[in-house]
Amino acid sequence: MKKAVLLVLLMALVVSSFAFKVIMVSDVGGLGDKSFNDGTWAGILKAKDKYGIDVQVIQSKEQSDYVDNLSNAAKEADVVVAVGFMMSNALFDVAPQYPATKFIGIDIAPPEGGKVPKNVQLYLFKEQESAFFVGYLAAAMTKTGKVGFIGGIAIPPVERFRYGYMAGVKAYNDIYGDNVEVVVGYTESFTDAAKGKSMALAQYAEGADIIFAAAGACGNGVIDAAKEKSLKLYGIDANADLATVIDKYFEKGEGYFAIGVDSDQDYMAPGYVLASALKRVDNASYYGVRDAYRNRFKGGLQVLGALEDGVSLSQMKYTKGLVPARILAEIEYLNYAIKSGLLVVPDNENDLNNFSADIEFPF
Amino acid sequence: MNVFQAVFYSLSTPIFYKLMLISATPLIFAALGGVFSEVTGVTNIALEGIMKIGAFTAVVFTFYTGNPWLGLLGAIIAGVMLAWLHAYVSIRWSADQIVSATALILIASGLSAFLMEPIFGHSGQTDFVAKIPKVKIPAIQNVPFFGQIFDEMSIFVYLAFIAVALSWFLIYKTPLGLRMRAVGENPKSADTLGVNVFRIRYFGVLMSGVLAAFAGAYLSIGELGQFQENMPSGKGFIALAAMILGNWNPVGAMWAALLFGASDALNIQLQSILDIPPEMKALLNLLPFVITIIVVSGFVGKTRPPAADGVPYEKE
Repeated sequence: MKKAVLLVLLMALVVSSFAFKVIMVSDVGGLGDKSFNDGTWAGILKAKDKYGIDVQVIQSKEQSDYVDNLSNAAKEADVVVAVGFMMSNALFDVAPQYPATKFIGIDIAPPEGGKVPKNVQLYLFKEQESAFFVGYLAAAMTKTGKVGFIGGIAIPPVERFRYGYMAGVKAYNDIYGDNVEVVVGYTESFTDAAKGKSMALAQYAEGADIIFAAAGACGNGVIDAAKEKSLKLYGIDANADLATVIDKYFEKGEGYFAIGVDSDQDYMAPGYVLASALKRVDNASYYGVRDAYRNRFKGGLQVLGALEDGVSLSQMKYTKGLVPARILAEIEYLNYAIKSGLLVVPDNENDLNNFSADIEFPF
Repeated sequence: MNVFQAVFYSLSTPIFYKLMLISATPLIFAALGGVFSEVTGVTNIALEGIMKIGAFTAVVFTFYTGNPWLGLLGAIIAGVMLAWLHAYVSIRWSADQIVSATALILIASGLSAFLMEPIFGHSGQTDFVAKIPKVKIPAIQNVPFFGQIFDEMSIFVYLAFIAVALSWFLIYKTPLGLRMRAVGENPKSADTLGVNVFRIRYFGVLMSGVLAAFAGAYLSIGELGQFQENMPSGKGFIALAAMILGNWNPVGAMWAALLFGASDALNIQLQSILDIPPEMKALLNLLPFVITIIVVSGFVGKTRPPAADGVPYEKE
């Protein structure tokens, strides 16, 4: 009996040491951030369900942990997944030391000079494409002719969100001959929700009625501001159900909205978050792990856009009923136009200034 | 709009004053807390930590009971407990007050981060909970300008100003206040005259726990309805600056906090009003600090802390 148990254990040990192992190293946000880390982890779990691989997560408590955590993970795993812009330097320090291990960097740009180590696959996103949809939607839905943008710190991904958003508004203006304005502010933080809320209140006071927040957790404050302003306008209390909220919106003919970012934040305040501009980090981590598992790992940089399911508009589970069917159809068409290359969304200031939407809807 | 027009425009809008009050409220509470502690001669740089634990406990209690007022009560209890630790080691054992307070800040951030996992199942930020309802004053709603400032304000904003008045009265107009100041200026003489130095100092430090807990609770269940790990993002230290700028006087601290609130509000409004490139907007975020430096260096005369501030008292 004892021998049999021992044998089974031994076999388990042998099998497990051959099993394909993926370790994710979270950034300081950690699992539960309902954003980057959770999204990446969801993609890894999807790969686990599909291919039966071993998965594990190492949570980083401080920025100074990144190098240690990545190194420890690299010693054990076949694939190490590094999450987030802040881990860039650590990743490029550690990866060359473990050439046998494959590294996946989510939302990490190539180092200065552009040389990506051979065992590293980086994923970036065309944030501007998902922001384009919410920009178009905001311009179509505003009753005041003014929409807001609140950025965290003006780093490249945030700026790409802004270019796309402004391009979306511009496209609507071009197509409908309208003149919707965008007001822009930066909180200089991705965590100070109080500041996000204050800035949203300021933009609402300036006349904006829909605000897109690309500012991490500051966005929670923006969503709270939208809810607070709407509650007052509608004259209902915080526990009112979705049906009441929607009725009141149509009754008043106006409302205040926030637009979420990165993950689907519509549920955070149903009826007050118009939509979310999604960044599908889950798809990126899934693609990375899948390719590594199937021995198709190439290394280098991949930029995921709408075509690759890297970015998209949220499903608008709670607010779809608020939006005229024609606008939804137009956004669907724009999605098709972007995927098929008919429309290129600007990702820098210059292109944004020269951008004009040359779109004729076939309906 | 050029910069000057934008500033004048901003100052003429009600939202500016609303944002100023919102941003100044936690600073007022915490700065008052600092005043209470330091007037009796115990420095308390742990305000940041007490605010954090206050904000966190408020959300936890509200999460379990569904009642934000019990959340506030929980915050006060937790704030007092943390302040008591500071009082105990620095008054009873004459420990270095800066070291003790630094330890408290670390304990607060460690504890809140650690407890978030078992309570809410994830770290980073908690779930949304009920908020303390806003005060609506129907009489003022139709008054132009003021109506828009005060139409829906958190009760904490009013409480902050009431707390300033009460603190001023307590410290400068009552026998207890006189004893507090005596203990902070010259504990030995106070002791000779029969004042219980230790007890008065305990009172000052525990009061700072109560007030800093109010500041923290305002941030979480007063405005946002959620605790985030980075709360209160440095506001405890800005409150210390307000306390010093206000010359360890409740009313002075209030003015200083309002000044910080105003520069914060101005920055937030100018962000959206001014049509300037993003790099310039990043610089605009430095405005509160620039204003602080200008004011501190140019407009305020020399400030003077209580003579025995930070000096442990030992009976001979």
